[in-house]
Amino acid sequence: MPTRPVPVLIVDDQAFFRVAARAVLAVTPGFAAVGEACSGEEAVTRVDELAPDLVLMDIHLPGISGIEATRQIRAAHPAVVVVLLSTYTAEDLPADARDCGALAYLNKEDFQPEVLERIWVEREPAL
Amino acid sequence: MPIKVVLAEDSYLVREGVRRMLANEPEIELLAVCEDYDSLLAAIASTQPDVVLTDIRMPPTNTDEGIRAAERLRQVRPAAGVVLLSQYADPAYALAFLERGTEGRAYLLKERVADLDQLLAAIREVAQGGSVIDPKVVEALVAARSRAAPSPLARLTPREREVLSLLAEGRSNAAVAEGLVLSERAVEKHINSIFAKLDLPEARDAHRRVKAVLLFLAEQG
Repeated sequence: MPTRPVPVLIVDDQAFFRVAARAVLAVTPGFAAVGEACSGEEAVTRVDELAPDLVLMDIHLPGISGIEATRQIRAAHPAVVVVLLSTYTAEDLPADARDCGALAYLNKEDFQPEVLERIWVEREPAL
Repeated sequence: MPIKVVLAEDSYLVREGVRRMLANEPEIELLAVCEDYDSLLAAIASTQPDVVLTDIRMPPTNTDEGIRAAERLRQVRPAAGVVLLSQYADPAYALAFLERGTEGRAYLLKERVADLDQLLAAIREVAQGGSVIDPKVVEALVAARSRAAPSPLARLTPREREVLSLLAEGRSNAAVAEGLVLSERAVEKHINSIFAKLDLPEARDAHRRVKAVLLFLAEQG
């Protein structure tokens, strides 16, 4: 039985990165973009509406940060996986990025299909 | 006729994003998409682009590949333009990129790529031999140089401004002399006076030239 693709919400205030992330998802087997959000507040609402399994969350956002949005999303939907993205190096990450409930952090420079697939596979228990 | 573009960028996300954005533009024909210096040089040789859109740092050394590729392009395909994409406003890279002339050269911060209109405008501009310098790069250059009196360009004579505007088009001293019907020696004197008035007495000559041009372009912009 074919498994349905993992529905993904893309959150970034820069249109370019939303387009870019869509492009990456389009060539990553097993994932499908189901929506986009431009702010942390919009991300929280969109997760309620669209029920994605995975959220790709930019850290730097207008209004509440990606970290705060992650906290709210994880509190309301504990099963939703959030991966933080930014241009920070891992050492420069804000301290609260580590305990906001995100599964992983990725530098935008390193974001590509194989990396996304690996993060997803390693997070899922083997069946 | 569409502008023929070769893209080189090692970041998967930026590369795919730019590829996808340009794919929808009828005025752009994307000839090749490269991930490193060697494949970019090969693509330049085999596809004859009008414009190369390239990251600065790429494999193999992740230092200044984009700038070196632009130099190479100047030799093998002088009419082609280059849009250099940089993560940071780095004055040293900007100077190295522009020291042989700003004609057909654009230096853009990657954050501008987010705005398709700005990216397309830069591609169009360099395809026609023009230049685009990111305002943040000009800012960094101006900040890097000692803070002199406001608007040093105001100290230039009308003749010196004419000379500077021709330098900004990437002309050599000889070409400036021809354009203004002056001797080359007279042009050199004007240029030295421009450097002195713009407070650029110490850096290497090519760099002074680029800085003077950038100040001029900044004021025009």
